[in-house]
Amino acid sequence: MKSIRIENVSKSFEGEQVIENLSLTIPSGEFFALLGPSGSGKTTLLRLIAGFEFADKGAIYLDDQDITRMPINERKINTVFQNYALFPHMNVFENVAYGLRVQGMDKKLIHEKVMRFLGIVNLEKYAHKSVRQLSGGQQQRVALARAIITEPDVLLLDEPLAALDLKLREKMLLELIDLQYELKTTFVYVTHDQFEALTVAGSMAIMNTDGEIEQVGTPKNIYEFPASSFVAKFVGTTNMFSGKFTRAGSYGTVAVDGLGTLHVALPTHQEWLHDGRTVIVSVRPEKVEISKQPLTGFSNCMMGEVKAIVYHGRSTQYNVRLANGAIMSVFRQNEEHFPSDNKVIDYDDPVGLYWQDKNVTLLER
Amino acid sequence: MVKRFREIFQQELPFFIGVPALVWQVLFLYVPICYLVFLSVTKVDVDGVAFTLGRYAEFFQVPYLRVLLRSLILATGNAVLCVSVGYPIAYYLAVRAHARSKSLLLMLLMLPFWTNFLVQVYAWFFVFERQGLLNTVLMRLHIIQEPLYILNTTLAIWIIMLYCYLPFAIMPMYAILEKFDVRLLEASYDLGARAWQTFLRITLPLSMSGVMTGFFLVFIPSFGEFVIPGLAGGDKQMFVGSLISHYFLTAGDEYTGATFTCLGALVLATAALTLRYCMNVMIKRVR
Repeated sequence: MKSIRIENVSKSFEGEQVIENLSLTIPSGEFFALLGPSGSGKTTLLRLIAGFEFADKGAIYLDDQDITRMPINERKINTVFQNYALFPHMNVFENVAYGLRVQGMDKKLIHEKVMRFLGIVNLEKYAHKSVRQLSGGQQQRVALARAIITEPDVLLLDEPLAALDLKLREKMLLELIDLQYELKTTFVYVTHDQFEALTVAGSMAIMNTDGEIEQVGTPKNIYEFPASSFVAKFVGTTNMFSGKFTRAGSYGTVAVDGLGTLHVALPTHQEWLHDGRTVIVSVRPEKVEISKQPLTGFSNCMMGEVKAIVYHGRSTQYNVRLANGAIMSVFRQNEEHFPSDNKVIDYDDPVGLYWQDKNVTLLER
Repeated sequence: MVKRFREIFQQELPFFIGVPALVWQVLFLYVPICYLVFLSVTKVDVDGVAFTLGRYAEFFQVPYLRVLLRSLILATGNAVLCVSVGYPIAYYLAVRAHARSKSLLLMLLMLPFWTNFLVQVYAWFFVFERQGLLNTVLMRLHIIQEPLYILNTTLAIWIIMLYCYLPFAIMPMYAILEKFDVRLLEASYDLGARAWQTFLRITLPLSMSGVMTGFFLVFIPSFGEFVIPGLAGGDKQMFVGSLISHYFLTAGDEYTGATFTCLGALVLATAALTLRYCMNVMIKRVR
């Protein structure tokens, strides 16, 4: 269990800059997620840490050791590949034993250790099966066991669940969390799936399409207090309004064209906030109440017409057209089997949307 | 009636398409082979035609066995050389070469096939002659004082054999390595393996079928080769191919020729099967 420190790293491929001057610290023993859209350079960053590629500029440290130019096979950093990269000519046992065999470990010790690690991933019974006979989830476990058996300082996971179906993915995520807790190894989990990242990560970094890190923090922090509109949009769904900011005592107002004035609470960091500045207001759909009857006690209220209803099971999404033509999404929990008539909302119903100023995020960009 | 015929024809189309090839194969391969086997065990004299295994027995003498052994050594050695020299080339072509240079390199590899086999062999004469390219260059560079005598030696045979058969070894290995998933190499290095461990445990086992195909594509025709030993070796040493061509073409004795051909084929088949068995055992060992 070691930390990784990336300092001002740049990497380009055939003239195309993928990562520029990137710095990031991944704390020791953390389950860290690297979340970003495709093409954000997160896999490149992972390959730089693993040693498959070398950085053009900058340095990478494993604790205090400079590993920027260290060959792959000397780094105690292992990878679980997206396509698993299992050796097709070896059975499950041989695949898992590979790392120990190339170290020249004693045969008996290898056998014990492999069986122990196959036990950890619940594959003891499959030791002598060919990897081709296994299901996707089982192959995933073999790849995992193979990568952790040499007890690396850091384990890198490159979209490891991308090929699995949803149910299996949810199950594997929970198993990964348990495994990380048991091993205490630093895990770096690369994904473009915000659900996976939010589920597993102790802390996470969001990368944007330019290969820059937008925000680092706990999942809750990133979801509730996104640092930019990119993060607000990429992690979860949100409604955004842009308008002119005016301070009004302990809170602020934002004048939005065609909609009127929104009331917003002031963020902790507000050096950048001054009257007259254009700001973005982000309102998460689940923080908004939708009702046909007028509600009281909310600092923000907006009227509109329901234009789309999407039933999700545990909740229903209503897309409401506001006075200026913009669409605002609202989630409402489906609490009852038989809601009373005044609660049933239909297409084209005029509705009111209500939310509190403290449940809103003010964004600089 | 016509309709029914058409139906059958359409259903059995693959069979009808295959018929000409099948006829060709039977007429020009299986029938001659059977005829050859028949000739090898027949004796014709004043009493007429009779069955005999006697000529097979006659070949179990040192000079003939030496010819068989010499051909076996040449075939095995040439196959080993072609595979060893060809593997890095195939690997480079399949894994390392850029897509653009790859097609050019492949064309260069196939280029010799555009010229006649004999021309390829004779071309080497210009290289190996007393006044040839090799001697001229080496003497100009003062590496040697006297011209090297290569033509009409065993060395010339081996060099030209390697040259002519190399593409046959490269192609099947290239075809296998082309499909090789290089991410497996990354996985191997990632798990701490060194370059030679990765080669022995991953690359070689996964390309072994190509290596075997390449080996036997060289081994089998090399065994019967008589043009190269004849031209480049100056016909000083007898090989299986030269002896067969001697019986058929020079001596005009097709009965003895047929016997020796069949004997050679038996030896070849036994050797090939044995070699394949040994290789399979070796592969299991490495793993």
